[in-house]
Amino acid sequence: MKLDIVTPLGRIYEGEVKEVYFPGIEGEFGVLEGHAPLMTTLQPGIITIKKQDGTEEIIAINTGYVEVTPEHVNVLVDGAQPVSGEKAGDIAEAIEKAKQLLRDASESDALVASVEAKIESAARNL
Amino acid sequence: MATLKELKQKISSVKNTQKTTRAMKLVSTAKLKRAEEAIFRSREYAKKIDEVMHEISAKLASVKESIELRAFAKIDNIEKVDVIVITADKGLCGGFNIHTIKQTINLIEDLKKKKIKIRLKVIGKKAIEYFKFVGIEMYDEIVGLSSAPNYEKAAELIEKSYEDFVNNEIDNIIIIHNGYINKLTQQVHVKELLPITVDTSNSQEFLEIEPDNDYETILETLVKKYIEYSLYYALLDSLAAEHSARMQAMDAATNNAKEMVHQLTLEFNKARQEAVTRELIEIVTAIEAMKK
Repeated sequence: MKLDIVTPLGRIYEGEVKEVYFPGIEGEFGVLEGHAPLMTTLQPGIITIKKQDGTEEIIAINTGYVEVTPEHVNVLVDGAQPVSGEKAGDIAEAIEKAKQLLRDASESDALVASVEAKIESAARNL
Repeated sequence: MATLKELKQKISSVKNTQKTTRAMKLVSTAKLKRAEEAIFRSREYAKKIDEVMHEISAKLASVKESIELRAFAKIDNIEKVDVIVITADKGLCGGFNIHTIKQTINLIEDLKKKKIKIRLKVIGKKAIEYFKFVGIEMYDEIVGLSSAPNYEKAAELIEKSYEDFVNNEIDNIIIIHNGYINKLTQQVHVKELLPITVDTSNSQEFLEIEPDNDYETILETLVKKYIEYSLYYALLDSLAAEHSARMQAMDAATNNAKEMVHQLTLEFNKARQEAVTRELIEIVTAIEAMKK
């Protein structure tokens, strides 16, 4: 399954993936290959990508759209911040940026707090 | 033949011009680099939103009988259109602005033949000056946006057109701009933004839309985003093309100036040689005359 994540400032992610989890407007949902065609809006949160080799990647986003077809997934978001890096310092910086992105995007403290917690726990696995 | 003094003045003035054009070329090169980066970054998004827009509308059209949004309607009887023209605020960039203006005038004449009314929205000082000069009426004049593209301002501008479109006041939105292809080529693009043509030739029969199959809201926000981004992208594209056109024009001007300095120097040398020879002849003749 091909995944494409683009923002007005450029492409964030492109490649073959096994599974993806999205923060949909009606709740979190996962997509595997062969998923029924779907179109929905996304709310601020994190996208979790599981790649073919089993590694995981997480990307914090604000609002956007996702279009799912059996073969590919197109994600259009206004802002995105991958939570990754080579060194501990880079990761910490990415986490800070991701949190900032969410705080700017959402007014709900509960949502921000829960997503922040998710970022923290996912970052620990990196 | 010009006198030595005149030639000297001419050479130094051409040299000064050359300095200016060279500096302008360097500035444009630097600015072009930034503008290029901006369009390369946003090109992906522009392409994707276009793709998603068309895929979704095609699917919906095959799922539903018709889409109840005017943006997807088939409008047979076009009465009035919005034409948005983008040019630069500044000149000295070769044929960049005039290409866009000529294309616009062609379009206006075509539309007039079909008895379609036009609302001309002009971005960029150069086109505004031109249309004022030839007496073409403009509906809206925007200065400063094409030299510094701004998403919010672009969105605000297109929002007005969109509202008029939804309220049946206008039937089409057309954007004309001179776009960037590579460092040496620009091309004028004419894009019909709305209504979006729905291609139902190859699509699936099934599509789920969340939340609750409320496809109109989601489509409408997507359409808005699409047109906003299309205009914003056109602005970025135009800016990059402007810088590349100016870079080329200034490069040509610098070369021409160089050539001119060369010619003038030759002329100057010839004139000086002539003067020297004349003086010598005068002296020799005087001596010869005295001998007798």
